[in-house]
Amino acid sequence: MSPGPQAEKKSPGDTKGASSDTLSLNGVGLQYDDGPEVLADVSLTIPARSFYFLTGPSGAGKTSLLSLMYLAKRPTRGNVILFGENVTEAKRGRLAMLRRRLGVVFQDFRLLDHMTAFDNVALPLRVAGVAPNVVQRDVTELLKWVGLEDEMGKHPAALSGGQQQRVAIARAVVNRPKFILADEPTGNVDDVIALRLMLLFVEMHKIGSSVIIATHNHSLVERFAFPRLHLADGVVTQIPAGE
Amino acid sequence: MFALRSDLPLRGGGSGRFVGSLVMVLVFIAAFAVTVSAYVGALIGDWNRGVSGTLTVQVPVAAGSASDAQVAKALDVLSRHPAVAGATLVPRAKVDELLKPWIGDGVMSDLPLPALIDVEMRDAAPAAVAAVEASVKAAAPAAVIDDHRVWLDRVAGLARGIGAVAAAIIVLVTAALALTIIFATRASLTEFAQVIEILHVVGAKDGYVAGQFARRALVQAFLGGVAGLALYAPALGFVAILASRVDPEILPAVHLPPLHWAALALLPAVAGILAMLSANITVRRALSSKV
Ligand SMILES: Nc1ncnc2c1ncn2[C@@H]1O[C@H](COP(=O)(O)OP(=O)(O)O)[C@@H](O)[C@H]1O
Ligand SMILES: [Mg+2]
Repeated sequence: MSPGPQAEKKSPGDTKGASSDTLSLNGVGLQYDDGPEVLADVSLTIPARSFYFLTGPSGAGKTSLLSLMYLAKRPTRGNVILFGENVTEAKRGRLAMLRRRLGVVFQDFRLLDHMTAFDNVALPLRVAGVAPNVVQRDVTELLKWVGLEDEMGKHPAALSGGQQQRVAIARAVVNRPKFILADEPTGNVDDVIALRLMLLFVEMHKIGSSVIIATHNHSLVERFAFPRLHLADGVVTQIPAGE
Repeated sequence: MFALRSDLPLRGGGSGRFVGSLVMVLVFIAAFAVTVSAYVGALIGDWNRGVSGTLTVQVPVAAGSASDAQVAKALDVLSRHPAVAGATLVPRAKVDELLKPWIGDGVMSDLPLPALIDVEMRDAAPAAVAAVEASVKAAAPAAVIDDHRVWLDRVAGLARGIGAVAAAIIVLVTAALALTIIFATRASLTEFAQVIEILHVVGAKDGYVAGQFARRALVQAFLGGVAGLALYAPALGFVAILASRVDPEILPAVHLPPLHWAALALLPAVAGILAMLSANITVRRALSSKV
């Protein structure tokens, strides 16, 4: 028997053969209801182990583009290909499996208020059915890594903005994602904390994740020499590092 | 014990309290219906045991002594009939005693009462009963034979009717519970839209999300059911006290079967499981229509 059904599944626009830890958009358009296309004909490929800033004016569609990438939306035209799989037509259950290999960070954190920091970080593991002792070990280790070992039992309301942000990042990376997608992660914290967060992302990048950070923060973009995806008028332009 | 850790806040939110209170009321009603049907069933069983295999022969009071002669003839025929195990004349004092609770004391001795013969059948098949009836009629034409079947059939019909209504109540309560859970779950899908979004973002399948709502509904309905039983216990006790004061000749003391108590005890669990299933299906349906 073959190892698994998805190994044989044929998808249009199959890109298997290339490294499968990539994310590509082919001629992607996105439209809300009857509105204009927020994204028009976006084509790009994010290779494995890359680091990009996603820039562009407010309302340009950065959040929309990221939500296509973390599979919260489907494109209204074109194809999104993640891990060699065309997700445009994939079933809901399949999308859930693919999301487990992604980590998402939001500007407003989106922690669950009724859960402790520990349980918030544990969520992606529990959802995936990871054994309780493994959850205990990994979450504890990660919260230490982000300097929150004394805050594990606290609820988000009892944490500072910076601490909440670190919980949100810990939640995003606890399942060792191949892609980390962050939507203005430094928007709600001061510059010192923003810098610390960036260093966490850089570390995740070093150990093998691709990172895409949508941001307004020019000083961060200038400080870190990473290439940019610039979004304007529904179209993405790739800008090499340092330009 | 299995851990009921939930990703949704178990408390909080109007829907939780709403479900709990409604299930409390529904379980109270269902518990009453269960008791009524168990009671009626036990009562019929009691009557059935007392009555089957017996006949009563009445010889009405007639002018003169003809009646006494007829009673003697009837007794004679009965005692020799092969289908009859025994026939005894009910003494006047016993008849008075039987009638006392219904009629009262004073007038009794003046009443012209028929002679009653209690007959124990050896063979209670309808054909044997009919044969006995025919021979008694031949010997004592005025005799009236009552095999209690008509009486029992009517009482049993009434009891079955009450039982059917009780069953209908249980069916309706079940439907009401399912509808309650469906609407409350729909409301909490909106209430917890943010939580659901995050669960999806971190890779939860619809079944997992549905499971969270199902657990929540299970806990709420179970607790509501326990509260409903807690409310029902004193009500049942009160009715039992009232029943114990009724003359046992009119209302025999009936022991509710163990099955009744088991059914009552299971009601919260049944409500919980029903709620769990309703919530699960509701959430799966709602989510499956999303992108
Ligand atoms: N859910 C939505 N429904 C309708 N329009 C939306 C929705 N989300 C975003 N938009 C519109 O899409 C455009 C891009 O929004 P967004 O992706 O949030 O941009 P950015 O993150 O770059 O600020 C905006 O014009 C916004 O009004
Ligand atoms: Mg945005």
